[in-house]
Amino acid sequence: MNLDDLAVFDVLRRARVARIATVSRSGRPHVNPLYFVLGNGRIYLGTVDRTLAALNIKADPRVTILFNIEREPSDSRVLRIHGTAVVSTDPKLCRWYVVRDIRKYFMNRRGLWNVLTHARLLPAVRRFISSGEKGNECVIEVRPEEAELLTAPSGLSSS
Amino acid sequence: MTSRKEMNMTLRDVRVKRVTLNVEEVDARDLLLRVPRACVAFITDDGPQAEPVNVRFKDDHYLVGIPSRAASHLTVGEEVVLVVDDGVQFFDLRAIYVRGHVQPLGEIEGPNSDSFWFEVQPMRTVAWDYARIREVPDES
Repeated sequence: MNLDDLAVFDVLRRARVARIATVSRSGRPHVNPLYFVLGNGRIYLGTVDRTLAALNIKADPRVTILFNIEREPSDSRVLRIHGTAVVSTDPKLCRWYVVRDIRKYFMNRRGLWNVLTHARLLPAVRRFISSGEKGNECVIEVRPEEAELLTAPSGLSSS
Repeated sequence: MTSRKEMNMTLRDVRVKRVTLNVEEVDARDLLLRVPRACVAFITDDGPQAEPVNVRFKDDHYLVGIPSRAASHLTVGEEVVLVVDDGVQFFDLRAIYVRGHVQPLGEIEGPNSDSFWFEVQPMRTVAWDYARIREVPDES
């Protein structure tokens, strides 16, 4: 299966959070939920360059990503994509990502409501982002190589 | 004139705080009871793998049910990472992250009998909750 497959694209279009598994230089696993956007046959995930995900990809580009349809718990499909990734701090790509991330996650009724109801936290978010504690903004660009549709184990409300 | 003591206090005041999303694991433990989404990551010859899993949290033990087709990739003592997460909107994002080692349990009867169950013996557990973002004393 590839990203052009209708069933694959359907899950990617509905999914909101990607769980990206990576391996460290010393061979240790890691998995982390991240926001993502699609474009040019690639999957782009936003993070900062000192996170384990980014550091691991710099050491070993192989990744596996899981996608659930979070808003439809009765839909047990889980899309798994294997691919290779690069970490980019290119300001142009980062801006491209941020614009699409904001459109996808914030410029809609649910996203705006979520921000408005947590407006008191925005100064802390701004300090968190600007502190650079975890490094500089970056984008993980994933080139999908293999896709498979799984069924989530039964007994969960979703996943 | 500023005394050394006052200067030290000023410097300490500047450095004492950092912003964190982390919470105590016990504050996110409801995720382990209702398990919105869960996956486990491990390493094979083909690289990092991720598998959707069932999770039961029983008597402070992390029990993980992995589809039988994937169980052959795991060995006793192997390092894995379990993530249980929830939320879509920014301030709804929460998770528990458990890095640990595989300990076998064998088959568990019930609705998930097609799963192979094992315990993750935790080495490190982290939980985060974006709605709890806050300043905390910097003890680093």
